[in-house]
Amino acid sequence: MPTLKIDSLSKTYPNGVKALDQVSLEITNGMFGLLGPNGAGKSSLMRTLATLQEADSGSAFLDEIDILNQPHELRKHLGYLPQEFGVYNKITAAQILDHMAVLKGIGNKGERKELVDHLLQKVNLYEKRNKSVKGFSGGMKQRVGIAQALIGKPKLIIVDEPTAGLDPGERNRFHNLLADVGQEVIILLSTHIVDDVRELCSRFAVMNLGQIVYHGSPEDAIAELRGKVWQKQVSREELDSYQAKYQVISDKMIAGKPQIHIFQENDPGDGFQSVTPNLEDVFFTKTKLKTETV
Amino acid sequence: MFKEFFFLEIKSAFKRPMIYIFTFVIALLAFGAVASDNVQIGGAIGNIYKNAPYVITQFVSILSFFLGILIAVAFFNNAALRDFNNNFNEILFSTPISKSAYFFGRFFGALFLSTIPLLGIYLGVYLGAIIAPLAGWLEPDRIGPFYLETFVNNYFLFILPNMFFGGAILFALSSRFKSTVISFVGALILIIAYISSGTLLSDIDNETLAGLLDSFGLRAYTVYSRYFTPVEKNTLSPAFEGILLWNRLIWIGVGILILLLSYLSFSFKEKTKKVKRKKAQKEESTPELKELTISPSFSSKLNWQQFWGFFKISFLNIVKSIVFKVIFLFATILLITDMIGGFEYFGLQAYPITYKVVEMIDDSSSIFIIIILIFYSGELVWRDRLSHINEVINATPHHSLASFFAKVLTLLGVVSSLYFFFSLLGIIYQLILGFTNIEIGLYFSTYFIDLLPGYLFYSIFFIFIQVLVNQLYQGYFVSILFVIAWSIILGVFDIQSNMVGFGGAPSIQYSDMNGFGPGLLGNFWFNVYWLLFASILVLVAALFWVRSTGGGVKNRLQRAGINLKSGIKMPLIAAVVLWLASASFVYYNTQVLNPYQTSDERELMAVKYEKKYKKYQNMLLPSVTEVVYHIDIFPEDRDVKVKAEIRLQNKGSQAIDSIHYNLSDDWETEIKIPNAELVMQDDSLDYHIYALAKPLKPGESMDVVIHTKYETKGFENNRGNTSIIRNGTFINNMAVLPSMGYYEGAELSDKNDRKKYDLPPKDRMPELDSSNKALRMSNYLTDGRADWVKMETYISTSADQIAIAPGKLIKEWQEEGRNYYHYKVEQASQLFCSFISADYEVAKRDWNGISLEVYYDEKHDYNIEMMLDAIQASLAYYTKNFGPYYHEQARIIEFPRYATFAQAFPGTMPYSESFGFITNLEDSTKNNVVNAVIAHEMAHQWWAHQVIGAKMQGGTMLSESFAEYSSLMVMKQKKDDLGMKEFIKYDFNRYLRGRGSEREKELPLYKVENQGYLHYGKGSLILYALQDYIGEDKVNQALSDFLAEYRYAEPPYPTSLDFLRHLEKQVPDSLNYLIEDWFKKITLYDLRIDEATFTEKAEGDYLVEIKLINKKMYADTIGNETETPMNEWVDIGIFKDQDAEESILMKRVKLATGEQELRFTVNEKPAQAAIDPKRLLIERIYDDNYESIKEKD
Repeated sequence: MPTLKIDSLSKTYPNGVKALDQVSLEITNGMFGLLGPNGAGKSSLMRTLATLQEADSGSAFLDEIDILNQPHELRKHLGYLPQEFGVYNKITAAQILDHMAVLKGIGNKGERKELVDHLLQKVNLYEKRNKSVKGFSGGMKQRVGIAQALIGKPKLIIVDEPTAGLDPGERNRFHNLLADVGQEVIILLSTHIVDDVRELCSRFAVMNLGQIVYHGSPEDAIAELRGKVWQKQVSREELDSYQAKYQVISDKMIAGKPQIHIFQENDPGDGFQSVTPNLEDVFFTKTKLKTETV
Repeated sequence: MFKEFFFLEIKSAFKRPMIYIFTFVIALLAFGAVASDNVQIGGAIGNIYKNAPYVITQFVSILSFFLGILIAVAFFNNAALRDFNNNFNEILFSTPISKSAYFFGRFFGALFLSTIPLLGIYLGVYLGAIIAPLAGWLEPDRIGPFYLETFVNNYFLFILPNMFFGGAILFALSSRFKSTVISFVGALILIIAYISSGTLLSDIDNETLAGLLDSFGLRAYTVYSRYFTPVEKNTLSPAFEGILLWNRLIWIGVGILILLLSYLSFSFKEKTKKVKRKKAQKEESTPELKELTISPSFSSKLNWQQFWGFFKISFLNIVKSIVFKVIFLFATILLITDMIGGFEYFGLQAYPITYKVVEMIDDSSSIFIIIILIFYSGELVWRDRLSHINEVINATPHHSLASFFAKVLTLLGVVSSLYFFFSLLGIIYQLILGFTNIEIGLYFSTYFIDLLPGYLFYSIFFIFIQVLVNQLYQGYFVSILFVIAWSIILGVFDIQSNMVGFGGAPSIQYSDMNGFGPGLLGNFWFNVYWLLFASILVLVAALFWVRSTGGGVKNRLQRAGINLKSGIKMPLIAAVVLWLASASFVYYNTQVLNPYQTSDERELMAVKYEKKYKKYQNMLLPSVTEVVYHIDIFPEDRDVKVKAEIRLQNKGSQAIDSIHYNLSDDWETEIKIPNAELVMQDDSLDYHIYALAKPLKPGESMDVVIHTKYETKGFENNRGNTSIIRNGTFINNMAVLPSMGYYEGAELSDKNDRKKYDLPPKDRMPELDSSNKALRMSNYLTDGRADWVKMETYISTSADQIAIAPGKLIKEWQEEGRNYYHYKVEQASQLFCSFISADYEVAKRDWNGISLEVYYDEKHDYNIEMMLDAIQASLAYYTKNFGPYYHEQARIIEFPRYATFAQAFPGTMPYSESFGFITNLEDSTKNNVVNAVIAHEMAHQWWAHQVIGAKMQGGTMLSESFAEYSSLMVMKQKKDDLGMKEFIKYDFNRYLRGRGSEREKELPLYKVENQGYLHYGKGSLILYALQDYIGEDKVNQALSDFLAEYRYAEPPYPTSLDFLRHLEKQVPDSLNYLIEDWFKKITLYDLRIDEATFTEKAEGDYLVEIKLINKKMYADTIGNETETPMNEWVDIGIFKDQDAEESILMKRVKLATGEQELRFTVNEKPAQAAIDPKRLLIERIYDDNYESIKEKD
């Protein structure tokens, strides 16, 4: 069973932005979700773990492999699908997978062919294997992306915002693929879509401003909030006064009128109703309140 | 509406820095070219002002093409694509704007903008002309007046039309394809079209066509101004006339057409993308999904597989890309155009021997190779990032070096495949021409020896730049800057070592006789040096190869540190150590063993020499009367040992107490003079003075023995000595032996250079003055060091070679595995002796007791019989018309192509392999330039070797002009007037062009100062015309009388006036003006038929009326013309065909200046009339001498 240990990882960009701030995590096998708003440092963390970026301090280990100092070793066990996955012009799905297979250590030609065909079937692109990837839809491209990430029996698979921009159908297909990979490996999935985590991950962490602000299982997180989230339909003009008065987790439009969720230990009265918290509430509690109140 | 778009375009450009940068850079270039004495663009040499209209027009036409295209891409591409690139098009086009206002507003806005940077030329020239003299960078007399016309006309003739035409194409392409890449392709097409039109220019018959076809007008201007004299270059601005106007009209027309087509096809609506109809697809079911357990394995073999994988995918990617296909296509078209043009030389073709074809391939592809290397180095480095696949690739367990070397190999593979494809074309080309001696090995060896190292170095070098710069476009900029600027920078600092010349190496020139030649060894070591350097670059680049993102310079250094530890450190250390070792070896060879002087150093040496020793110029010298040479040539080692026994005689009237010698750096020389003491030894300028213990009294002789040897050591910075080589050594006595007395030839000759170093102005030649007996004691060849000398040579070489020196072969023997020969010149001759050794085939023929011999390389047996014929024909004509031949043999000897000339030594004429031995002479109707050259050299056996001019103005007329004339007379025996006209058109071109490039002053023929365009070009024209006017026999009589008076005579030597004295006797009084006008003045004619008509008087009886306009001018030394009344004989021809080949009437009539009308009656229907149809008179415009004869109504 592989274990990923991250200890006090920090990174400050030359422009002064603190991308990672003393990040520590321990992840074992299974799918681990990394939730956070845009710019929280998710991608920085992912890229650091994928050996594509240096850290200023701290350490990260996959079992015995020192990720920061033995990048080459880690790469042998890594499957990586970055946020942006593009391909060269005029190259087919089979060709790019074949190329990636060589790079990931599948030297034998016969084996490689077998593997590529297998992966193409798995991601349901076998019939399109000789088509140029450039012409694929976003979802198809992501499937090629996940196929390449699976090459070479990786122990650690890192998928950065894989479902952004996918339609619901493609998103489901993508989730099924990830779920299929099995429990023997660590899958680190970053997303800003709460549902991705709810549907896939047994454990997750919330990141904000380069820090881990929560770390646990979705159930625990929701349990923590149970009875503390209240909801009310308000008018647009009132919004500001509620913002000032309560710890507003979120406001969204329901049938043209703002509906706000607030965080409060006790019943606030004032027409608020208790709601069963969902992961979205967790997300906003951890990210929004921290920044606004702390 | 139009106005709004027009001004919007301009306003937005003025807010961005680009236009200012372009203008500044161009102004700076023009400023530098005018203000610096070292930069010589545009032909501002000699008497031409640095700011002459001609020079400014050169700047404008050249820059409006080369930089103009770049500027056009920048402005027009931007104008066409800005809205699309900013995704603003949909918003903009949904507003109610007019299409024409948008389209033309943008276009003309960009057009106006793109002409602005080129106005920087005016600014730069203007400032340069004002500031440079004030700052003391230039002498004030190098700057002439400005003419407003120059600026205005240049704008409307070049800047605006060129930007319009180029802009129309680029704007049309960008509007149509909405792609910057396509704009680049368009720019490439423009460049290639220009290059292609140039291949036509090599033949002077195609000049007009080439001038019209060049869409940027550069060549039109070249043709337009080809016969400009210095004064015209200084005063004439380009005008709206002639070929220049036609060219501009044609291309503006084409531009308008393109623009209109583009406008008509332009639409605001989004182009609906064509959907490719799907091919009927085979139904293919997905096989069942099985469980699979394939694990990676990481072995060293995998590194190779990964390397190969990277290579394959990037190679295919490039080969399939549109840019590559376009480059490939055009390179091929260019090569084929070159092939169709062939190897033209004076209207003849050379055989397509392999080295010629290989050179053609190299020449026509090298520009594309550089473009490919620069463009794709960036592409390869950035491809992953631009395709957004970089992170995926970078996170895989491959070694950076694998991907790195794959990039290098990809570039190498792409350019190499281009070469091999072209080689294939080359072979097909040879076969199509029926040439079967195809040396496939040479295609390969040239590649491996000469091309591959450079390809490899530059592949790595450009990739290195891209990696280090880490910004795609800046990377391109730095790469291009390096290509253009580095050699200029080295030039400015006067650094000539190839060790700092990025990829520099001694050049290699393949010769059929001598293979890759003397540069090979040095080339090899320099390549080793540069490739080791490149391996350092690869490793450093791998250190800085961006595999992870984020972070600044600090992080890159930090990462480089990590990479260093991961297996790059040891190779890097090894590479540095090996490179340093090779560097010290190369340094030792090129700087210690074979030091050289840079051009500035040489200039300074010449100045020092002149300042220090000029005082000895007129000191008394003994004269060489006898020499016995002992020459041992060692071809394997490229060594030569010489012992010369020289008899010196005091021919003067005063005793000589010392002898001065100039030694040479390259030769180890020991001079033994009996009873003499070396009293002065200047090693830096190699000047020795020996004092004679007992002065040499008038009439007395003494014997001097000189031992000297040349040893080839290691290799040199440049290719080294091309005279002493493995096969085809060719040296002469002047190169071998130290020269006696002050050597005037070492002085700086350019008047501007002399001024720079405060040296007094210097005459090229002493004034022509028959009465100056003292000057007439020296001839221009031996300069008073010798007169008629008895010469003998004992020469030896290796067993596989034949060694040849002038004279009769007395004895031939072998000794210690070497060949020995003893030659003796039958007749005391000029002190001018060649020593040659190579592995020769020999062809011999006997003619009246004279042995005709051709020594040639076994590969070049094509023209040997014809060469023997040429020697024979020359001997026959010359002995009949001029006098006896004084040698028992006449030899033509092939020498390698490092030099292109033929030269006459007594009875012995070395002739370069490249322009005669491989020329295709099968078509006997063509100009047989080989015959002409041989006849010329043979003629020197009379004109130079039997009689030679005094060292005075006009001296070379007596040898070179006479040799040209003699050669033409030999030609004329086999050709009619029309054929001769084909031949002498080259002499017209040579003369008329030559006078335009004159650095000091043009002189009348009889005062020629060793100027080639005069003694060859004008000399041929005048003597040829003269024999037509007074008769061949009369000219020959004058020549043979002149020869009889001076043949092998002791000094004083004759002058051109002595010849004219003999000539005058042969010229009838009615033609006496010819001597004055043709020999003693610079005379030009302008003859023109204004109108020609005929009326049929009776059946088969036609009256032809011809209206003429005539003019005759005298020109001064810089080309100022003064009209002079004309009253002289000119030919009129009437022809029955339009090509003017069959004449009905040919009549010499007396013509006066101005308009006049002539009437002739002919009995056949006339078609063409011509004035001076044989082209005997010197005119700058000859085309208007012909006119169709029309029926009079």
